[in-house]
Amino acid sequence: MKKMKWNVLLLSVLCIALLAGCSGKSGSESASASGDGGSGTTEISLYTSGSLNVKELWESLIDSFEQKNPDIKVKLVYLPSGTGGQSALDRLLAAKKSGQTNVDVDLYEGSLDDISKGSSEGIWAKLDSSQITNLKNVDAKALEQAKDLAVPYRASSVVLAYNSATVTNPPKTADELYDWIRQHPGRFAYNDPSTGGAGSSFVNTAIYNFLPPEDMNSSDPAIAQKWGQGFNLLKELGPSMYQQGVYPKKNQGTLDLLANGEVDMIPAWSDMALEQINKQLLPNTIKLTQIDPAFTGGPSYLMMPELSSKKEAAQKLLDYVLTPEAQTIVVNKMYGYPGIKWDLMPKELQDQFASVSAGYRQFNSGDLQQEIYKRWQSEVAGQ
Amino acid sequence: MSTSGKRGMLGLALVIPSFLILFVVVILPILYAVRESLIDQNSGEFGLGNYIRLFTDPAMRKNITYTLNVTIVSTLLSLLISYSMAVYLRFSTSWMARWINRLYFVPMFVPGVIATYGLITLYGNHGWMVRLLLLLGIDSFPKIIYDYNGLVLANLWFNIPFATMLLSSALAAVPNSVIESARDAGANIWQLFFRFILPLSYKTMWVAITFIFMGIIGSFTAPFLIGANSPQVLGVAMQQVFSNYQETHTSSAMAVFMFLLCSVMGYFYIRTMGKDADV
Repeated sequence: MKKMKWNVLLLSVLCIALLAGCSGKSGSESASASGDGGSGTTEISLYTSGSLNVKELWESLIDSFEQKNPDIKVKLVYLPSGTGGQSALDRLLAAKKSGQTNVDVDLYEGSLDDISKGSSEGIWAKLDSSQITNLKNVDAKALEQAKDLAVPYRASSVVLAYNSATVTNPPKTADELYDWIRQHPGRFAYNDPSTGGAGSSFVNTAIYNFLPPEDMNSSDPAIAQKWGQGFNLLKELGPSMYQQGVYPKKNQGTLDLLANGEVDMIPAWSDMALEQINKQLLPNTIKLTQIDPAFTGGPSYLMMPELSSKKEAAQKLLDYVLTPEAQTIVVNKMYGYPGIKWDLMPKELQDQFASVSAGYRQFNSGDLQQEIYKRWQSEVAGQ
Repeated sequence: MSTSGKRGMLGLALVIPSFLILFVVVILPILYAVRESLIDQNSGEFGLGNYIRLFTDPAMRKNITYTLNVTIVSTLLSLLISYSMAVYLRFSTSWMARWINRLYFVPMFVPGVIATYGLITLYGNHGWMVRLLLLLGIDSFPKIIYDYNGLVLANLWFNIPFATMLLSSALAAVPNSVIESARDAGANIWQLFFRFILPLSYKTMWVAITFIFMGIIGSFTAPFLIGANSPQVLGVAMQQVFSNYQETHTSSAMAVFMFLLCSVMGYFYIRTMGKDADV
């Protein structure tokens, strides 16, 4: 009897220990990550997140980088989207605030939003073209937009994907597209904007085409007053959509409809569509085009934390990423746009991407995006 | 310490680990969600603002009635089908019953996402079913995917096997001798069912209803992929409010409301169980 009591006691202690252990784990993991490689090699940590193709891209980029720079090891910390990219940024902010002198994040991949979030706290280091000579390959305007704190090393945009077997004369402007939708009821679909960027680009451009261009990069709540015309257009187009107003979930939802011929035209991410055409998940009759004014898109940026102690090695990687050679990997692996000027890229890639490289607009309205989703849900989906 | 005191301590010690786990992973989050739900999303003040909006916003009201409609209809249909199937499997000795008996639980081993895509491929606008019917010269097909019908269909697919399994085991416990003697005494099929089979499997039926109801009301995968854009079931709407609008307090209020709905079912469930224990 007595022995049993002890066993029970032990068991309960174990249980408590287990419960307590769950909460403490995440903190101790990061401590071991910052060890230098010792004998002459420097190890830098690159934090990235996104879909699986981002991880695959970095694996091949790092491979060829390490071959050229045997003294640098790159540790890839990949956080699948929605699992904690934010917490890496929070950690940088916290490290800065608490006055730490060192962090184990040497490069961080993020969006324009991350740049502005971090720049007010001064956590990103200013990039210097005397250290990173290949910065000259990047469009000066793009660097300026990133306040010289980040390298836009790749980009993708939303384009119009259509079935060339049924659509011989694809729309060239936004108005032609809306007319096409009205004339071909049920043959166009865009995904629920809150579930994927392709649909939200369609919605955002439909709304902001009625507004002055500079409004697209403003988070002034007053702009919301001017959305009415755009929402009316979307409401009016509703009955002409797939099944009189079905908006599939996720970017892939509409690509599936296009693949099995249920619709003839959709807005889609250029990288997703090109990859699927290439892997024959989409029939080869599917063509891509950009309309005018263009759909939205945007670059993905690399930032270097000010607190990184291995800036020299990190700069070497940044420099490498901006070479035409590395950019060719970006284009071939991700089907994304290169971060450097198109005319520096191999000729055959320029030709291959001619249909979608016409450009894109950027949309950056902060919290207003959520308001758009909300209003779309109640006015367009719930009409 | 007396023996009974020691035993009491032992009992307590045995309960503590599971209670602690329950407390940390179930009770604390519920309390936390209740607290979150009482902080007004707009003003940040303590109050019932989120709940008032939940029941006055026309879109949200539509979502709630839609969810209840889908849930109740699917629950009743699942129960009806699985009950009749269980009765059939219990009393029929045909080869068909034997095959159904072997196969009916297969859907339980198919992951939800895959089953949902299967339903889309089968019943979609250009799905196999449509093409098959077209070959037979029928070119009208009801809209199933992206519609109410599809949701009910998916719910049936996910819930019938489990409910049938539960009810089958209950019916297996009905002794043949009872049925036979009732037959000998001249009971017809309906009397047999309502006087003997139903009372003997009544308790399990409540278990089945409870599980089906709770499974459906909280479902996400199938409604997300094949549901309409509006109205939405609460699970999908909650995710949208939480991740896309980033309104934690509103979504907490929705979660608490869903929890209350399930509690009502739980109450009936426990009451039925309790009543039975008294007998």
